[in-house]
Amino acid sequence: MDRRVGAALRRRVSDARPGRLLRRARVAGPAALADRFALPLLAAVTALLLAVLFYYPVATVFVDAVVEGGRVTFGPLVEVFTDEFYLVRVLGFTAYQALLSTLLSVLLGLPGAWVLARFEFRGRDTLRSVTMVPFVVPSVLVAAAFYATFGANGTLNAALSAVGLPELDLLPSLGAVLVAHAFYNAPLVTRVVAAAWESVDAGAVETARSLGASRRRAFRDVVVPQLLPALLTGAALTFVFTFATFAIPLALGGSQYATIEVFIYSARRQLEYGRAASLAALETGVSLSLMALYLRYERAQAAERRGVRTLARRSLWPDSWSRERAARRLAITGYAVVVALVFVAPLASMLYASVSVDGRFTLDAYRFLLERQATGAAFQVKPFPAIVNSLLFGAAALAVALPLGVAMGVLTTRRFRGRWLVDALSMAPLAVSGIVVGLGLLRGLVFGFEAFGYRFTVTGAVAIVAAHAVGAYPFVVRTVAPPLDRLDRALVESARALGASRARTVLDVELPLVWPGVVAGAAFAFAISIGEFDATVILAEGGGTYTMPVAVERFIGRRLGPATAMGTVLLAVTAASFVVIERVGGEFRG
Amino acid sequence: MTDANGRSRRRFLRAVGAAGVAGLAGCSAESVGDEATTEPTAADTDEPTAATTTGEPTESMADTLVVATYPPFVNAPSTSPGAWLKREFESEFDATLVYQTPDSELNYYIERAVQGVDFEADVYVGLDTGQLIDVDGQRGEGQFTDPLFAEAGAIEGLDAVRDGLQFDPRGRAVPFDTGYVSLVWNATMDDGEFVAPETFEELTRSEFAGDLIAQNPTTSTTGEAFMLHTIDAFGADGYLDYWERLQDNGVTVLGNWSDSYSAYLSEESPMIVSYSTDQVFASAEGQDLDKHQIRFLNDQGYANPEGMARFADSDAPRLAEAFMEFMLRPEIQAGIAQRNVAFPAIADAPLPDDYAQYAKEPPESVTFTYDDLEASLDTWTDEWARRFAGG
Repeated sequence: MDRRVGAALRRRVSDARPGRLLRRARVAGPAALADRFALPLLAAVTALLLAVLFYYPVATVFVDAVVEGGRVTFGPLVEVFTDEFYLVRVLGFTAYQALLSTLLSVLLGLPGAWVLARFEFRGRDTLRSVTMVPFVVPSVLVAAAFYATFGANGTLNAALSAVGLPELDLLPSLGAVLVAHAFYNAPLVTRVVAAAWESVDAGAVETARSLGASRRRAFRDVVVPQLLPALLTGAALTFVFTFATFAIPLALGGSQYATIEVFIYSARRQLEYGRAASLAALETGVSLSLMALYLRYERAQAAERRGVRTLARRSLWPDSWSRERAARRLAITGYAVVVALVFVAPLASMLYASVSVDGRFTLDAYRFLLERQATGAAFQVKPFPAIVNSLLFGAAALAVALPLGVAMGVLTTRRFRGRWLVDALSMAPLAVSGIVVGLGLLRGLVFGFEAFGYRFTVTGAVAIVAAHAVGAYPFVVRTVAPPLDRLDRALVESARALGASRARTVLDVELPLVWPGVVAGAAFAFAISIGEFDATVILAEGGGTYTMPVAVERFIGRRLGPATAMGTVLLAVTAASFVVIERVGGEFRG
Repeated sequence: MTDANGRSRRRFLRAVGAAGVAGLAGCSAESVGDEATTEPTAADTDEPTAATTTGEPTESMADTLVVATYPPFVNAPSTSPGAWLKREFESEFDATLVYQTPDSELNYYIERAVQGVDFEADVYVGLDTGQLIDVDGQRGEGQFTDPLFAEAGAIEGLDAVRDGLQFDPRGRAVPFDTGYVSLVWNATMDDGEFVAPETFEELTRSEFAGDLIAQNPTTSTTGEAFMLHTIDAFGADGYLDYWERLQDNGVTVLGNWSDSYSAYLSEESPMIVSYSTDQVFASAEGQDLDKHQIRFLNDQGYANPEGMARFADSDAPRLAEAFMEFMLRPEIQAGIAQRNVAFPAIADAPLPDDYAQYAKEPPESVTFTYDDLEASLDTWTDEWARRFAGG
């Protein structure tokens, strides 16, 4: 392994860099200067966007935690932080269920990454593309689908009783909450780890094997260290998401499983802004601290590699069978059953709910969508504009989030003091309660702010795209930064030494080497945009800029048909988009 | 428009409106956006009495009415009164009705008032007692100093509103329909043997263990109504003990109505806290009515009247008033009730004869007054949450 050599080289290179850059800038003139500042410029744009679209709006809410009646008292904050109920019981339970959810998501997601990264089979690319689909399903549909699948009268019990087995009482329960969280987040783990696995350098594994390491040993010493950062990325994201969970525990668990976000919601509902802001500050504090810890670890782990040749995938159907091979295929089959139960069955039952009423087949729900489209009033939510808006916002958010995320990823792989703090702050959009972000957008952007005697307001499509981009770009950073950090600096420096500009080096050397991460980040960014609800519904203001999840929410009623039909449309459109993104992404690379 | 202009325009209109010169307000509503910059300074200093002498008290009205309401009022997939109401109103009045349906409902306007930002809405449709208390509780915060809603005054049809539905002691909100929270139960469960209990007491018997789905009062309207109903039945000192018994008897408390209705439809439990109009939907969709039986515990239903109120800052106060009177007309009352699947606020709305067959009204209706709720609602909810929620 060339690890130590690489580290030494890196130190030398980074010591030399500032002087060299300055020299080059001086010699090469304005073009090189522009090149030199392209990335910082992108960073400045990122910072500005974050400030306007995230930090300022969110600050208008958090201020309620410390200001009462115009005076800084820290009253509400102190009240919450000294209340054992919130601090111990609520926070404790919230962390507990997030931890369990994370473990379950990793457990369910990891084998998926293994299968996708290490085996070749028909439809592998498509399957990998659509792994993120569960991520965009509105939670109310997940709840309904879980009841239809695992409920007392659900598909699973029908199947069990058909074969003479006793029926199960699975809902509502903490277990159901955890499985639903895994439904959302295991695909995330799969996607992130698969991307890392696909970038593992085959040469390093072969070297280890040729030096006498057993297969298991080579896996443990060579492959695992390269997967671990991705695995922890997935785990950290899952924890942060499930820590702020809200709808799922309420729907599938019951009030005894109320998380801190539920209390933020009800405080906001009672217009107790001080309490809502204080609870949200508590929540964000925990999430961000965890994020910061994780980022410090991620940096410490950064191991350099050249990573040019990836591991060859084995065929799912081997030419000849050995005991080990058979055991692996058996394990994959078992995993497929679990996937069918946890992921496919709920989605299928959602599809089924859209074409049935009381067990009878009917297309009424889709007829409703068509009718609403054809004859709905102008002020009503219609399906087609929802699809178009979702796709446009998704594409636009992708176009903004991808460059921002890559730029931030490149910048934060530079070494400077307190980098982990900047890094953690840039991840803040993930760690702040959706309720706070929504309220902040309302106060800060929809109502606008006064400056120079004018009131500036930001509403409509542009604000929605910007909000989606801000919410999505941390995913790009998280999928791009770790592999970038592990890139062999010597490769970059060679390119620079051969005369390539900084931007050119990023585009021609660094990005192609971390491309699976970039594509995964793009898929995340798109998924975030498509699935985003809280901010969209506020910025749409009941006007014409609603998206598919908003339409689903509007179509919820006593019957499941209209909402599930719209949900099915959402899934179909999203799945197709993912395939397109990965295809285009794949071609762009080659 | 800048904030300064907007605010002075409002002051201008208030000054004029106070003197009862609706005509001026109506005229300026068309072009305020352009004229407000020049007009208000002069008008601002005018005494209301001065305005009376200069304006002509004609009955002309604004040509646009902005009605703010909750999204399902215009958008519900099954049936909603919004589109029909707009058609009916516009066919009679020479004005356009525009809906605003912000996701955070009335909180959106309270927020605006607190932040000192103008809005266009003239009337809010869909107020309940709790929201009214929120409005009054927030007054004094930030820039929210003037009243949000105007008093309804002696509008036509108000005296026809049924006794017991009036929920605003200050006469701003006018009820336009009401619903009742009750139990809905499934007679096909336990092999067709299941019969819902008749009283709160029976509900805690072991034969009904695990049989009820309710909703969290901190996150759901039906949940809150059911909790209030238990407070009415057992008192503020006794409801937590009753809930303790419910808890011991395996009640399921889910987050909101639609989640819990999913659970009910999948037959998780034979009873759910829901609305007493459940059979209206079930019969319209040809569902088995045995699965949608209604039970009023203790022969009571918790009433949730919905009200409407005119925003004090409305540009079109006269038109808003006309709209509220329009809403109280018997045939409109019947139309709203059927399309919103609720009960009219007046006694003599011409409903179809079979309406009562599926839309059940309780023998006795229970509700807390504004004063009761203002004094205690937050405490009751918080105490409930600390006992039964959060890990």
